[in-house]
Amino acid sequence: MVQFLVDLLLRAGDIALVAVALSAGYSLVKFPNIAIVQYATIGPFLAYLIARSGIPFALAVAAACLFVGVLAVALNLLVFERLLKSGSAIAMIGSLAVGMLFTATLLVTAGPDTRHFDFAITALFDVFGSNVTLTQMISLAMSLTAFILLALLLFCTDIGRCMRATAANPNLARATGIDARLVVRVIIFLSGMLAALGGTGIAIKSELNILLGPDLMLPVFAAAILGGLGNPIGAIFGALVISFAETLAAAINFGPLVGQSFLFIPVNYIAAASFLILVVALLFRPYGLFVNEVKRV
Amino acid sequence: MRAALLLATSLLTAVPAAAQTTIGAIIPLSGASATQGEDQRRGIEIAVEEVNAAGGVLGKPLKVIVEDSGGRPPSALDAAKKLVAVDKVPAVIGEYSSGITLPMAQYLMQEGKIHINAGSSSNKVRQIGPTSFSVIGLEAVSSRFSAVDALAMGWKKVVVIGPNNAYGHGMSEGFKEEFEKIGGSVASTLLYTEGQTSYRRELQQAAQFKPDAFIYSAYGKDAALINRESFELSVNRTPWYAIYFTMCTADSKPEFVTGQYGMDLNFIGANGKGYEEAYRKKYGMGFKTSFSGYGYDAVKVFAAAANKAGSAEPEAVKAALMEVGKSYEGATGTIAFDADRQRMLQPYLKLRRGAEGMEQR
Repeated sequence: MVQFLVDLLLRAGDIALVAVALSAGYSLVKFPNIAIVQYATIGPFLAYLIARSGIPFALAVAAACLFVGVLAVALNLLVFERLLKSGSAIAMIGSLAVGMLFTATLLVTAGPDTRHFDFAITALFDVFGSNVTLTQMISLAMSLTAFILLALLLFCTDIGRCMRATAANPNLARATGIDARLVVRVIIFLSGMLAALGGTGIAIKSELNILLGPDLMLPVFAAAILGGLGNPIGAIFGALVISFAETLAAAINFGPLVGQSFLFIPVNYIAAASFLILVVALLFRPYGLFVNEVKRV
Repeated sequence: MRAALLLATSLLTAVPAAAQTTIGAIIPLSGASATQGEDQRRGIEIAVEEVNAAGGVLGKPLKVIVEDSGGRPPSALDAAKKLVAVDKVPAVIGEYSSGITLPMAQYLMQEGKIHINAGSSSNKVRQIGPTSFSVIGLEAVSSRFSAVDALAMGWKKVVVIGPNNAYGHGMSEGFKEEFEKIGGSVASTLLYTEGQTSYRRELQQAAQFKPDAFIYSAYGKDAALINRESFELSVNRTPWYAIYFTMCTADSKPEFVTGQYGMDLNFIGANGKGYEEAYRKKYGMGFKTSFSGYGYDAVKVFAAAANKAGSAEPEAVKAALMEVGKSYEGATGTIAFDADRQRMLQPYLKLRRGAEGMEQR
């Protein structure tokens, strides 16, 4: 049971930051940006590269996140905003193309090899009989800190209020004197940083390769849609639901149901759990569990 | 990238074809098996130096064009096409994983070229075709060896873990058949998708069977992650037994694999001391994996056959290979081909990973 909770939290931590990044970006720039999962690949690769030159790990991660944030803003200005004028479907396809460009670039520069952040091996922590490693704790702590900071920013600061106002009704927000362009840039910057941080969190506790981001696409989109695209806090909840489904599907022994002692769903098919939830969510709650899209006439 | 560089250097150093005898090698210099591929390359390099020091092949220097397969079948096929069409080589050594060797070698058969397998052990390699040779023993022999060894360790119920590809299927089915024949039971066979960033779920499922031991075989970098996560989940408190031990531990941190049992190819035969010294001298270390000797032997066997035939043409070399391969003393032991041109005798080692390194049991 404790092991189940540990696995659930670790998996939710994997998905949640990137899902929040996707959702936050969508709240102002109304198209689902597929390239966001690539930000989650580039972040840890940069951090790895910077850390290798002898810079302390925390600084390397910070620098990598900042860089990806700036990259996200630049791409938004140069590519996505222009595409968005032709419609959100065009912008989404454009972001898919940008994502493929990133994969190809990484394949040529970094290669297909798997890499690993080489931390010293530390003793395992025993959490009620289940093992947790130091890197897993760091990764979870990074996610939690990021969520708290984001919530504080959204709900306790001026710029946060401006963001929420612009997300709810851009025209009205502009009429009240909010600089919508600045607000958009800030939130795109934040979403780039969050995605990069999310990818780094995954990479430090497991491995880093160019498929890290693309592998996240399905669960991240499922989590963001479940939480209501454009609702960053909802995305955290969505991530928990997806992780719960995946972890349950992996852990349940279906053997007794069919008269065998053991029968598990092969791990390769577990991704189907998030796909199933995504389909059901799109069928019955296309705007997410917490309807957030305020439709004003 | 690396393939492009290699290509560039081979273009720069290109000399008229008649001035040298050229063959090809396609091995994984990047990807999950890069460590083994690099070791194969080292073996090839030393063999070429020795062959040329002894007068080359057919009185001309021997040259081996090494191509990177990246551990991917399409890249290996592209490389094979390039070697055949552009470099016009009569023979190609390679690859490493059975899943890549099979399609690559089938193409070489269509083109009527010689194929020398120096790393794959799937039984399907036997059926590749009339000009395909193996200087490494195939699974039929190794499965029986590891099954008997595992049962002798006192393990009755095991879980088998391997990659979901031609090699993993052959390995797990072969082991299960042999193990159950002698009274053991395989509680479950778990075939994982290669190149994942985590194998926690696979390991957690495997642990639920509560086996006496885990029997596993995995490519270097996948194995490194599996070993680390099995440590993190304490799944390594149950004994682990590795089939092709050095392949499974080449990239793993020693802390995670100390105490594991396993078997491996006997990578140094009675005749291999000179080769072992040459390797140590050139690279300043002992063998990284058990596969370098097979790369070395592949080149040496080809050179011996071509010299015997007085020609590098595939048909002539094939006949000479059968002749040379009646009993050839290679670095990895006696290489003798059966009627299907596969290595008949393949000695294996029983090993344990101690605190200091590999120990023979």
